[in-house]
Amino acid sequence: MQNRLKTSIVIVLISFLMFSYSKILDTTNVKCMIQMTDYDGFGAYIIISLINPEGDYESTLFVQGKDKEWYNELSKWWRFYGKIRNNIDAITGETVSGGERTVSLIKIPNDKIDKGYSVRFESSVEDQKYYIEDIQFDLTSENINNKIEGSGFIHYIRMISN
Amino acid sequence: MSLLIWRYSHFLLALISSLFLLIASITGGILAFEPIAVSIQPYNLTSLEEVSLNQTVLSLNKNYKETIKIEVTEDDFVIASVITDDGQAKKIYIDPITGGNIGLVKKQKRFFSFITNLHRSLFLKTIGRIFVGLVSLLLCFIGVTGIFLLAKRQGGFSKWFKRVKDGNFNQKYHVVLGRWLVLPIIIVAVTGVFLSIEKLSLLPKNYLNYSWNDKQSELVNNKSLTSFFETISLEEVRSLTFPFSKSKEDFFELSLKDRVLIIDQFSGRVIKESHYPFMKLAARWNLILHTGRGSILWSIILFIASSSMLFFMYSGFSMGLKRILKSKKTNKVLGENECEYIILVGSETGNTYTFAKHFYNSLVKAGKNAFISSLSDYTQYEKAKNIIVFTATYGDGEAPSNARLFERKLETSIPVNEMNFSVVGFGSLMYPNYCQFAIDVDKILNNNPKFKSIMPLYKINEESKSAFEFWIKKWSKVTAINLNLEITKPIKKKLKTNYFKVINRKQLNIDNTFLLELQSEKNFNFKSGDLLNILPKENNYTRQYSIGKIGEDLLLSIKKHDQGFCSSYLSELNIGDSLNATFESNSNFHFPKKAHSVILISNGTGIAPFLGMINENNTQIPLYLFWGGRTKESLKIYEKYINRAISKNNLSHFYKALSKENKKQYVQDVLIENKDQVCDTIKNNGVIMICGSLSMQHDVLDVLEEISSKNLNQSLSEFENNGQLLLDCY
Repeated sequence: MQNRLKTSIVIVLISFLMFSYSKILDTTNVKCMIQMTDYDGFGAYIIISLINPEGDYESTLFVQGKDKEWYNELSKWWRFYGKIRNNIDAITGETVSGGERTVSLIKIPNDKIDKGYSVRFESSVEDQKYYIEDIQFDLTSENINNKIEGSGFIHYIRMISN
Repeated sequence: MSLLIWRYSHFLLALISSLFLLIASITGGILAFEPIAVSIQPYNLTSLEEVSLNQTVLSLNKNYKETIKIEVTEDDFVIASVITDDGQAKKIYIDPITGGNIGLVKKQKRFFSFITNLHRSLFLKTIGRIFVGLVSLLLCFIGVTGIFLLAKRQGGFSKWFKRVKDGNFNQKYHVVLGRWLVLPIIIVAVTGVFLSIEKLSLLPKNYLNYSWNDKQSELVNNKSLTSFFETISLEEVRSLTFPFSKSKEDFFELSLKDRVLIIDQFSGRVIKESHYPFMKLAARWNLILHTGRGSILWSIILFIASSSMLFFMYSGFSMGLKRILKSKKTNKVLGENECEYIILVGSETGNTYTFAKHFYNSLVKAGKNAFISSLSDYTQYEKAKNIIVFTATYGDGEAPSNARLFERKLETSIPVNEMNFSVVGFGSLMYPNYCQFAIDVDKILNNNPKFKSIMPLYKINEESKSAFEFWIKKWSKVTAINLNLEITKPIKKKLKTNYFKVINRKQLNIDNTFLLELQSEKNFNFKSGDLLNILPKENNYTRQYSIGKIGEDLLLSIKKHDQGFCSSYLSELNIGDSLNATFESNSNFHFPKKAHSVILISNGTGIAPFLGMINENNTQIPLYLFWGGRTKESLKIYEKYINRAISKNNLSHFYKALSKENKKQYVQDVLIENKDQVCDTIKNNGVIMICGSLSMQHDVLDVLEEISSKNLNQSLSEFENNGQLLLDCY
C-alpha cells in the first residue's frame, strides 16, 4: 500500500518534471536583427507579437522601449497588453533610433510554428506615425531564417533560428 | 542704464521660470546621485589599458555560446550582451580578462526613472520637453544677466573674486556663491537646452553608412582578425558589435573613441573607417556634462549647482521683494511743491532708504515740511529751501539705479529759491571709489550757483548707525533744528547673559573717564576687541564697550556722560558688585595672529581693547600704539598698562598726542610725523587697527589715504580689501 503510494508520487513527480522540461525545450531561439530606416526623431518603440490564426494577439515576444508611459501610443497592442500587463522585463530592450540596428533574442514556442500563426512587428515614434503592421509574416520554419523588408520605420529584419 | 536692463531681465526671467526651475533643480539635485551610485559599483576590475580587445573577445567566445555586443561605459565597466549555453539572452558586467560574469546589468532604478521623467518632461511628454527646454534657455539668460550684474557690482570682471562685504546675508551669499557657481549653472543650462533640441530632433542628423563598395577596401590592414584586435586596447573601445551571422555580408562594427571601423569577420580587414560627425561627438560630451556620467567629482559639482539654485531663488526673490517694498515712497503728507525740506535718496539695495526715512521722520516730528523722493525724480520743488542728499554708490563709482537721471534733471529744472544743501554718502571702504557718486553729487551741486553748501560732504562706512547719528547731530547744530533720532537697535539676537563681578574701579579723572575691571563668574572665551553689551534695567538701549583682556579679566574704559544712564550706573559700581551683561564676539577686530608689524590708533576710551592687546602680544610682533587725549592727566589711568607692556618688550613704542598741552596735537598729526612707520607697516602687509570716536576715524582715514597715495602710490581701499585695516569706532 505504502509502496504503491510512493511509486505513484514518484511517477507524478517525474511526469511533472518531464513536462516542465519539455516546456523549456519547446521553444526555438530566434536571433533577430532589426535595421531601422534613416528617419529623424526619437527612438522607435517596436513590439514583436505572436498572432494566432484568427488574427488576434496570442502573446508578446519582445518590446523595444522601456518607458511604460509610451506604451499606450501603440494602441492596438495596448488594447491587448494593457489588460493583462504581465511582467515583460525579461523581453524588453532599448528603443532603436533612425539608421540604427539592434539584435535581440526571441523565443518562439515550437508548437506555434507552421500552424497558421504569424509574427507582427509594430512600430511607433513619438509625434510621428504608428505602423500597426510594419512587418507581418507567417510563422514558418523557413521564414524565421530569412530577411524581410519593413514598410514603416523598420528597413528590414534578419533572423536566424537555432 | 544697462544695469537696470540686466537687473530687470535677471529678475523677470527668474520669476517666469521659477516654478519649473524649482522642479528642475530639485530633481536635478537628486539625479546627480545616479551616476555616483553607478560609479561606485565594484565592476571596475582591471585597468583597461592593459587588456587587449582580442583577449576579451577570446574569453567571451570560450565562455558563452554567442556574443552580440561588448560595450565599455564611462566608468570603465565592460558590459557584454551574450547568449548563454542554455539559450538565454543576458546583459552582464564581465571581467574583461576572463570574460567571467560579475553581475547582471540592472534596469535603471524605478525611483531614478521616475525622477528623470519629471526632470526632463514633467510627465507631459513632448509638451513637457519643450517647456523644460525653454526653461533651460531662460536659465541660460538668467546666468548671463547674472554675470553682468555681478561684474557691475564688483566693479569689473577683473575684480570678480574681490572680497564681498555686505551686511545682508542673502545679498552677500547670492554674490559669494554666484561667482563660483554661475559657470556650472550655465553649463547645466546650455547642455539642457542642447539636449532638448536634440531630443526634439531640431539638429541635423548624420547617419553612419553601413553600405560600402569594395574600392574603399584600399585602406586595408593585412593582419588577421586576432592580431588586429590584439593591437587595440580596451581603453580605446566604446563598443564592439559582433557579426550577425557567419555570412560574408556580416561584419564586426568597432566603435572607438573617435571613429567607427567596419571589419571583415574572416580576414580582419578594415573595410571602412568613418569618423564621428562633429554633432555626434558634441552630443556625447553634452550628455556627459549634463548628467555627470562617469565622473563622481563632476556629479558632485552638478549636485551643488542644482541645490544652490534653491538658495539663489530664495535669496534673489527676497532681495527683489525687499527692494520693491523699501523704495515705496512714504506717505506724502504734503506735495513736492509745498515742502521746504527735500530729501533725495540714491539707493541700490534699499538700505540707504532706511536711513533717509529715519531722517525724514524726525524732520516731520520736529514740525518741518519734508518731502522724500529718489534722486532720479528730481524736479523744481517750488517752495524748497533745503536739499539733503543721501546716496549710495554702485559698483565702481556709478550712480545707483534710482539716481541715474539726477544730473540731467538738475540741468533742466532750475530751482526757484536759492537752496542749502548737504550730501551724505553711504559706501564701503572696501571699494576703491569709496562714496564716489556722493562726491560727484556734492561737486555738481557746489558748481551750481543756485545751491549753497552748508556742510561738507560726509561719508558713512558700512552703514554705520553711530556715524549716521554723529552726522545728524552736526546737521542739527548747523541748521538749529533739534532732531531726536534714536536708531540704536535694541538687542536683536538673544545673546547669552553673563554675570560679572567688579574687581576694580578707578576714580573718575579730569575727563570724567574711569576704568572698570570685571571678572566673569563663568569661564568663557573672549579676546581683546570683543564687545560687552550692558543693559541697565530701566533702559531699553544697550551700550557697547570694547573689551581689553588683562589676564582672565575684562578691562573697560568708560567715559561718564552727564545724561548717560549707563555710564552713570557703571560709575557708581563698587568692588564686589555684580552686573549683568551680554558678550558679543567681534572677530573683525581681533589682534592678528601673525603680522609684520601692527599699528594701533585710538583716542579717548578707544584705547581699552588695545590695552589688552599690548598686554597679550607675547609673540612680540613689532607693535606701535598711537593715542590721542586731552591732557597729561588724561593719560594717567592708562599708564600702568602701557609701561608694563613696554618693559615686557610687548610694545615697541607709544606715541601720544595731547590736544590741550603745549603742542596741541591730535592723533592724526602724530601719525603724519611718523608716516615712515605707517608706510613700512602697510607695505609689508602689516595691520592697522583704529578704535575710538568717529570723527577721529574720519580724520585718521584721511591722513592714511594721503600717506598711502602719496608715498606708496596705492589707494587705501586696496589695503582695506587685504584685511589690513580694521575699524571699530563709535
